[in-house]
Amino acid sequence: MIMLDRVSKTYRTRTGRKTVLRDVNAVFEPGHNFGILGVNGAGKSTLIRLLAGSEAPDRGSISRYARVSFPLGFGGTFHGVLSGRENVAFIARIYGAGIRSTIDYVEAFSELGEYFQMPVNTYSAGMRARLAFAICLAIDFEVYLIDEVTEIGDQRFRRKCAEAFRDRMLRSDIILVTHNPQTMRQYCDRGAVLANGDLTLYDDISTALGRYHRLLQEKA
Amino acid sequence: MSDIGEIRTEAIDADALGRGSGFFDACRRYLADRNIPEQEFPLFYCRLSETLLHRGHRENAVECARLAFDLQPETEETAHLCAWVFSNCGCYLEAAEAYERLLKIRPHWVVGHRHASGSFAAAGQIDCAIVHAKTASDRDPDSLEFAMHAGCLLQSANLYQEATDYFARAADIEPDNCLVLRHLSTAKFALDQHQDAVTLALRALARAPDDRSNALHATELLLRIGEFDEAFEIISETVDTHPRDAVARRLLSEAEMLRGRAEDALSTIDKALAIAPEMAEYHLHRANLLYRLGRLDEAAEAFGQAAALDPSNPDAKRSQLTVYFDTGRFTEALAIGGELIKASPDNDEYAQAVLQILNRRFETLDADYVLLSERELRPCRGLRPPPGFFARLQTQGRVIQALLIRESRTRFGDSRLGYGWAVLEPVFHILMLSLVFAVMMRGRPPIGDQFFIFYYTGIIPYHLFVHASSSMTYAITSNGSLLQLPLVGTFDVLMARGLLELLTDALVAAILLAGFGAAGFGALPHDLLGVSAAALVVWLLGCGCGFINAVINAFAKSWDKIWAQLTRLLYFCSGIFYVPGMMPEWIRDILAWNPVLQAVDWFRASFFEQYEPHWLDRSYLSIIAVVTLLAGFGLERGLQRRLYEPL
Repeated sequence: MIMLDRVSKTYRTRTGRKTVLRDVNAVFEPGHNFGILGVNGAGKSTLIRLLAGSEAPDRGSISRYARVSFPLGFGGTFHGVLSGRENVAFIARIYGAGIRSTIDYVEAFSELGEYFQMPVNTYSAGMRARLAFAICLAIDFEVYLIDEVTEIGDQRFRRKCAEAFRDRMLRSDIILVTHNPQTMRQYCDRGAVLANGDLTLYDDISTALGRYHRLLQEKA
Repeated sequence: MSDIGEIRTEAIDADALGRGSGFFDACRRYLADRNIPEQEFPLFYCRLSETLLHRGHRENAVECARLAFDLQPETEETAHLCAWVFSNCGCYLEAAEAYERLLKIRPHWVVGHRHASGSFAAAGQIDCAIVHAKTASDRDPDSLEFAMHAGCLLQSANLYQEATDYFARAADIEPDNCLVLRHLSTAKFALDQHQDAVTLALRALARAPDDRSNALHATELLLRIGEFDEAFEIISETVDTHPRDAVARRLLSEAEMLRGRAEDALSTIDKALAIAPEMAEYHLHRANLLYRLGRLDEAAEAFGQAAALDPSNPDAKRSQLTVYFDTGRFTEALAIGGELIKASPDNDEYAQAVLQILNRRFETLDADYVLLSERELRPCRGLRPPPGFFARLQTQGRVIQALLIRESRTRFGDSRLGYGWAVLEPVFHILMLSLVFAVMMRGRPPIGDQFFIFYYTGIIPYHLFVHASSSMTYAITSNGSLLQLPLVGTFDVLMARGLLELLTDALVAAILLAGFGAAGFGALPHDLLGVSAAALVVWLLGCGCGFINAVINAFAKSWDKIWAQLTRLLYFCSGIFYVPGMMPEWIRDILAWNPVLQAVDWFRASFFEQYEPHWLDRSYLSIIAVVTLLAGFGLERGLQRRLYEPL
């Protein structure tokens, strides 16, 4: 469960301050997968980082009653000079996971082969994404935060990711940001719409998609 | 010729019995038998035709009329009768020809023009019809019917300007006729004279407020010119007085939708559909409302109903496809797309739409993974309490440790020796400079008897300060990506850097000391505890400055350059290769304020038994270190959120 208590968040842009959340109270209940919808620039990624704890809110508090992942698919934590293996070891150490077992899992899942021992600088964007995905799966999070990354790799790897996630979803929840409504329907049973500093949670994904659709129309 | 009835009966009987070749042969035989003169034939056929029509034998009646018409074109009576038969039997073009012939005989017969016009119009020859209609009305400008007829014909030919003239004529004849006003209003609207049109519509409505046609017409015009509120007033009154009128409700729904009350519009169209459930257009309207309201699943269903009721109209299906596509149900969208393409294989737009669906489908995970289905089996997970103080401390320790290891690997990541360089570099540096100073100063250092040891005791505290404070300066800027990890904070990154410097310098110090021992210089610190304390305090001072530097550097990017210059100056001011006692007293008094010099002297005082300078003030250094550290911590904590930009 992730609980937002009167959370406000703004960030600076070239055109002035942009409000992502304004005095928002919300509860992401356990046992449900949430799809987060919002027009471009509404601050979906910022919200994901707030939920993860990568960023702190300006006001209010966010309580996490679960082990929450870092935003998945975020390859920025990799150090280019270190090898894939060393990067995995680092994340495992941080989260107190078994280093040996984590490395073995990631090595097998990411299918990087020889590259696993090479500096991450030498990786392609797809390889980085695979490594990030594997690390996130290797560590046993209770809530996974995913920001637009389910569409990585070739079809076979995507299928593999979906399978891995299906197993993981038997015990973990996900909070997902994607522009693809089908992916959202596949993964999520509940929805949340972020618009104009307000975050509204819906008990079913269809209502949320409908509301999102209206937003798009109003904008157009 | 009183026996037309007789010949008719006879002829029909003959036809029925199969004698002779039919009805007209029988007629000809009759005409021959009776020796009827040829000039009377047309009249005979006319009469026969008339009788036949009266008795319901239309085909033969028309044939008779044709015979009569072909035989004698110039007779008024023949022409008149033929026109009458033709127009009653649906042969409008021939009727029109008959009327035109009649008009040649009777040029001033105004009603004839009206009849000709009606026949031409019925035959689909609008142009000829218009000519006669205009003639009729122009010859008899006081006839309401002629004017209306001409106006309607012109309107149907999209000649609105002329239509307006004739409707205006009709309105002059009967200013209170609602039908005339409505027609004039419609024509004016088509000419973009919207205000006039609306005025006329409202005038008609005022004349007969209970006539629903007036209300519907006025509402429609008002909706089109954007007067939604007024339209809403009128139509809601009509709906109240005619509750079973589906058309009125449909218009009311439109008005509500345009006024932005989509919910009301939806309930109104639902009522209209309860009255007229088969109207495809109503379903389409309802679907659009649902779509607008964001009730996409229901919208898709409503579009489906509209499409089922009116299969010839592809728009409903096309809209349904859009809804399915928008809601991510690509399989359903694809099925609709297939139907559309099948119905019109040459339509580019449909082909494009299907292609788009296919592309999107390939982009997504395979559709056969219905991921949600198995979640029902999952046991409910309990809430994990937020970590307590010790758990957080433990996590922070883990993070700093991980960062330390990572830092040590990346510091000299490109070279083979890796962290080894971090140790070897200062070792070489100290040995080289000691050698240089030893040569320069020729022999004995100010304290002890080995210049190597003397320089060592100066440079180690200095390095502890400079290394910690300088490397922490970049800790935040060079670890921006790492800070995206929720568990990693700016404090952790800074502390890890500082600790790594402490460890490295301690290692260097130990290696050098061991080296000196091995080389036989035999130098061991006199007071190991004091040496360690001095090292620790100067390192803490370095950390404090490091925190402050990191904060300043986040706001002033060139601060690191200035700091590098300051540390170089500090090298000369900290008594590293000399002792303050060698300086004039006034200089020494100034230098004694330098905390690094104090640290060096503290270090030396503990290292060498015989060295105890009177200007050394251990508590001064300790206080400075603690204050700096607290200031650094405070700055870091206070400005934490502004120290780095989230990616």
